[in-house]
Amino acid sequence: MGEKPGIFQRRIVIGAVFCVAAFTLVGIRLVDVTLMRGHGGKGLADHTVIARADLVDRNGELLARDLPVQDLYARPHVFWDKDQAAHDLAKATGGDEKRLRESFDNTKHPYVLIARQITPDTGDKVMHLGLPGLEFEPSAKRYYPGGRIAAQLVGVTDPDNNGLSGLELGFEDRLRTESDAPEPVVTSIDSRVQYILSHEVEDQRETFSARAAGGVVMDVRTGEIIAMVSLPDFDPNGRDLKGSDSTRNIMAQDVYELGSVFKIFTFTQAMEDHTVNLDEIFTIGQGYKIGKFTIHEAEHMPATLSARDILAQSSNIGTAQIALRDGGVKQRKFLEHMGLLTPVRTELPEHARPLYPANWGTIETATIAFGQGISVSPLRFVASAASVVNGGREISPTFIKTDADRRGAQLIPAQTSETMRGLLRYVVTNGTGKNANVEGYDVGGKTGSAQVPGPGGRYIPHALRTSFFAAFPVEDPRYILFVLLDQPHGIKATGGFALAGQTAAPLAGRVIARIAPLLGVPNQAPPAILADGNS
Amino acid sequence: MIRVLNFFCVALMGLSILGLYHVSERTRVAEMQLAKVDRQITDTKSGIGVLQTEWARVAGPARIQELAQRGGMSDTSSVELSSFNLLPHRADAPLNNSSVRNANAEAPMVQPTLTPQPISVRTGF
Repeated sequence: MGEKPGIFQRRIVIGAVFCVAAFTLVGIRLVDVTLMRGHGGKGLADHTVIARADLVDRNGELLARDLPVQDLYARPHVFWDKDQAAHDLAKATGGDEKRLRESFDNTKHPYVLIARQITPDTGDKVMHLGLPGLEFEPSAKRYYPGGRIAAQLVGVTDPDNNGLSGLELGFEDRLRTESDAPEPVVTSIDSRVQYILSHEVEDQRETFSARAAGGVVMDVRTGEIIAMVSLPDFDPNGRDLKGSDSTRNIMAQDVYELGSVFKIFTFTQAMEDHTVNLDEIFTIGQGYKIGKFTIHEAEHMPATLSARDILAQSSNIGTAQIALRDGGVKQRKFLEHMGLLTPVRTELPEHARPLYPANWGTIETATIAFGQGISVSPLRFVASAASVVNGGREISPTFIKTDADRRGAQLIPAQTSETMRGLLRYVVTNGTGKNANVEGYDVGGKTGSAQVPGPGGRYIPHALRTSFFAAFPVEDPRYILFVLLDQPHGIKATGGFALAGQTAAPLAGRVIARIAPLLGVPNQAPPAILADGNS
Repeated sequence: MIRVLNFFCVALMGLSILGLYHVSERTRVAEMQLAKVDRQITDTKSGIGVLQTEWARVAGPARIQELAQRGGMSDTSSVELSSFNLLPHRADAPLNNSSVRNANAEAPMVQPTLTPQPISVRTGF
C-alpha cells in the first residue's frame, strides 16, 4: 500500500492503454463502416450522364442538350472467336471490321474501344450478340434539336464534350459545371426569329445564287442578339461536313468592304459636325476625279442631287464630297469613336479585326465614305450602326438574355440620331430601299452594294456584295436587322441586276414582316389595310 | 454476484451485437432499395430529357412550317396582326351622368358571307 508502481507495472499500464485505444478505434471504424456508410451501389446511382448544361433560347426552347449514350469497350482475350466477334460488333455498331480485327489481335492492349457514343438502340443490338467481355461506359452526346438553323452561332463540342466553337465555346465555363443538375444557360436568341431569318436568307440566297449569305437581328437598347445566321451552314448533329457545308460564321469572323451602308456613318459625322445642310444641292456629274483616281456611281444618277437624296439614291460622288469637307483625320477619329476600327467583343469566341488603310489620305477618305477601302465584320458594323439609331448611345452586343437597358455613353447627340432616323426612313420611302418597306412598320434603312476584291487585290468585275441595314419602327427603334448576300447573280425578275435594292432590301422587308409581330412591334397600318390583309 | 453481473453484461453485449447486426442489415437493404430508386429516377429523368429533346425537334419552327405548307397553309401576313391602339375608341359624346346605355361604342362589323372559303381563310391563317 502506498508503494509507487514499478517500471514494469507502468509499462503494463501504458501497453494496456494503447491496446484499449486501438480496440476503440477499431470499434469506431466498425460502426462507421456498418452503420454510417452504405454499400448498396449508391455510387452507381449517383453517376449522372448529364455532363454539360442545356443551352436554351430566350423563351426556354432547347438549343443544345446532352443525350445519354454509351461508349463500348471489349476485352478481346475472352472472345472465343475474335474474327467472328469483330464481324458481329462492326455490323451492330456500324464500325470498321478491319480495325476491330487488328485491335483484337494486338495483345498489348487488354481493352479495345469498339465505338463511342452509341445510342440505346445500338446498345440493345450489341447486347443481343451475347458476347462476353463487353463493357458499356455511360457517356453523353450533344444534340441540337434545331439542326442547321443556328449551327455556327450555337457551335459544337468535341467527342469529349468540350466546346469547340460558337456559344458552346463562349459559354464553356457556365456550361461545364460540377453540379448534378446544372441550370440551363439562357441565351438572347429567339428560336422563332432565328428560324425565320435563316429561312428567308436561305431562300434569297438560292434565288440569286449567292455564294454566301447572312443576317443579324439585334435589340438596340439591351444589345441582345436575337438571331444570327450564316450560310452556307452545316449539320451540327453530324460529324462530317458535306459538299459546300461551312463551319465559318461569316457574320462574326469575316471582314467585308460593306459598301454604301457605310454612308450612314459619313452622314452621321456630317450631321454632327454641321458640314452639310440636307437641302444643299451637290453636283454629281459623270465622275469625280481625285488625283489619278476617278470615283464612279454604281447606277446612273441625276446631274445634281440634294444631300438628302445623295443618301437616298446612294450616290458615291456626293458622299465623297461630303466626307472630304471634314477630311481624313476627322473621319478616322469619328470611325474610331464609333468603334469601327476595333474588333467587337462578345461572348462569341469568333471575332475579326477590321482592316483599314495605314495611310489615310484623300482618296482613302473619299472611298471609305461609301464603304470601300475599309473592311469590318458585319457584327462590328451592326454594333456601331445601332448607336446611330438608338439615341446615339454606345451599345455592345451580347448573347446573354437581359431585360436591362444596357445603353452606355453618348457617342453622338440624340438630335443627330433623330435626324439620321428620319434620313433612313427617307431612303426607304424615296430611295433605293423601297423594297424593304413593310406596311405598318415604318422601316428605315440603307442599301449597300459593294465591289468584291479578288485574290490579286483588284476588284472582281461585276461581282457585288449586297447588304441592307434596317431599323424598325424607325421613330423609336427597338430592333435592327442587317442582311448580307455575297456575290448574288441577277435574275430575269430583276432585269439581270443584283444590286442591294433588288436583292437585300426585299429580303429585309420579308424578314421584318414576319418577325415584327413576333417581337411585339405594333402595326401602325390603317384599318383599311388590315382588313385588306385579312381578305 | 460478480458472475451474475458478468453474465448479464455478456448477454447484454450479445444482444447489442445482434441488434446492431439487424439494424446494419436493414440499413444495407434500405440503401440498396434507395440506390435502385435513385437509378430509376435517373433513368426516368434521362428519358424525360430525351423526350423533351425529341419534342423540341418535332415542334420546332422548321417542322411546323413544313407541315403547314404540306397542309396548304401559307405564312401569316403581318398585317393580320394588329395592336391595341387600333381598337375602336368609345364614343366621344359625354355621358352627362346618364345611364351607360348612352355609350355607343361599336366594333366594325363584317358582313357574313355564305360563299365557301378554304380553311386557311376561315381560321385566319
